[in-house]
Amino acid sequence: MSRDPYEILGVKRDASQKDIQSAFRKLAKKYHPDLNPGDKKAEDQFKDISAANEILGDEEKRKRFDRGEIDMTGAEQHPRNFYRDYASTESSGGPYQNSSGFADFDADDLFSTLFSRRAGRGAFHGNGADLHFRMEIDFLDAVNGTTTSVYLPDGVALEVKIPSGTHDGQTLRLRGKGAPGASGEPAGDALIEVHVRPHRFFVRDGDDIRVELPISISEAVLGGKVRVPTPNGAVDMTLKPHSNSGMMLRLKGKGVAKRNGEKGDLYVTLKIVLPDKPDPQLTELIGTWAQSQAHNPREQMGV
Amino acid sequence: MNDIEFCAQLGVEVTVIEVWINEGWIRPETFEGSRAFRLADMARARLIMDLSHHMGVNEAGVDVIMDLIDQIHGLRRVIESAMSERAHLDDELDSLIKKP
Repeated sequence: MSRDPYEILGVKRDASQKDIQSAFRKLAKKYHPDLNPGDKKAEDQFKDISAANEILGDEEKRKRFDRGEIDMTGAEQHPRNFYRDYASTESSGGPYQNSSGFADFDADDLFSTLFSRRAGRGAFHGNGADLHFRMEIDFLDAVNGTTTSVYLPDGVALEVKIPSGTHDGQTLRLRGKGAPGASGEPAGDALIEVHVRPHRFFVRDGDDIRVELPISISEAVLGGKVRVPTPNGAVDMTLKPHSNSGMMLRLKGKGVAKRNGEKGDLYVTLKIVLPDKPDPQLTELIGTWAQSQAHNPREQMGV
Repeated sequence: MNDIEFCAQLGVEVTVIEVWINEGWIRPETFEGSRAFRLADMARARLIMDLSHHMGVNEAGVDVIMDLIDQIHGLRRVIESAMSERAHLDDELDSLIKKP
């Protein structure tokens, strides 16, 4: 990026800071990608404008730029996802779904025209339409698999088998469970988009699971057996003496089931925690110990 | 991500997030009594910050804009479906015409 920030914002070299701010605001309003959801070029333009403002909007940086000490390259914008990137993939029934923009159209009419034959297959042959559903399941149910039900609009419950290892956003297809077909033609399918609720301490990472495990000072220093929660029950893990905060340990095969029958791993990151309340004995002990200590854990930071 | 991670990423106080949630600009999921934010929520938060910090839009303005943006995406989705349905019908018509 070597263009002139004054040119980008369309201001004169002697423009006041106020002029620059209002020029930036005007352009930002015009080119913000979320205010132009269909314009792919808006993103590049917005980046240029933001970078120009990064320099000219800050009086110090502007002076340095004028003296030729810095150029636009220092103000390059970090890649960032705009809301429009998510809005287009938001599932129907998502929290930001808003149909007021077309609520005056006859909804039944609109949706029967648009969505009834969404699957497309055999629209002219009388096959039943596919039905779309959305359901939420617990993290552990997704990892371990379970059987649950969804209720169809007519109140009939449909049994859904959630395979172990189901991931967030996955669509399950139940063949023949959609709308019935005309005159003996096959019924459509039920398509169920599964959303997995986050867990309190497990985090899914593909087929692996990550967990942060609090350990006491004595466990960290002396080592020993600690209990570790896994998605299918707690297990014992042996800590070596002198196990540090941030250390990552792997419990093989305690992750998520893969398609090929193997399982991912559970990655445990240790985190040393002090007792809830100050402990006079500990304070005294550490006090004595600290006197003979010259350990600087921040040495590598140069402080 | 939880409240703390969300606030840290954005560099704002929890009280600010509370306002956004009360206004309905951000709607995180709730899980076991605590909030869970998604990347879409993060992107919305950045948009809100752009509007209120960089563009000088006040609270009432942000409220109107967020609502209109959601409406636009609703409409975009309908147009998209209409277009794909049309393409579908074209294909089916073609195949019917070709078949004797």
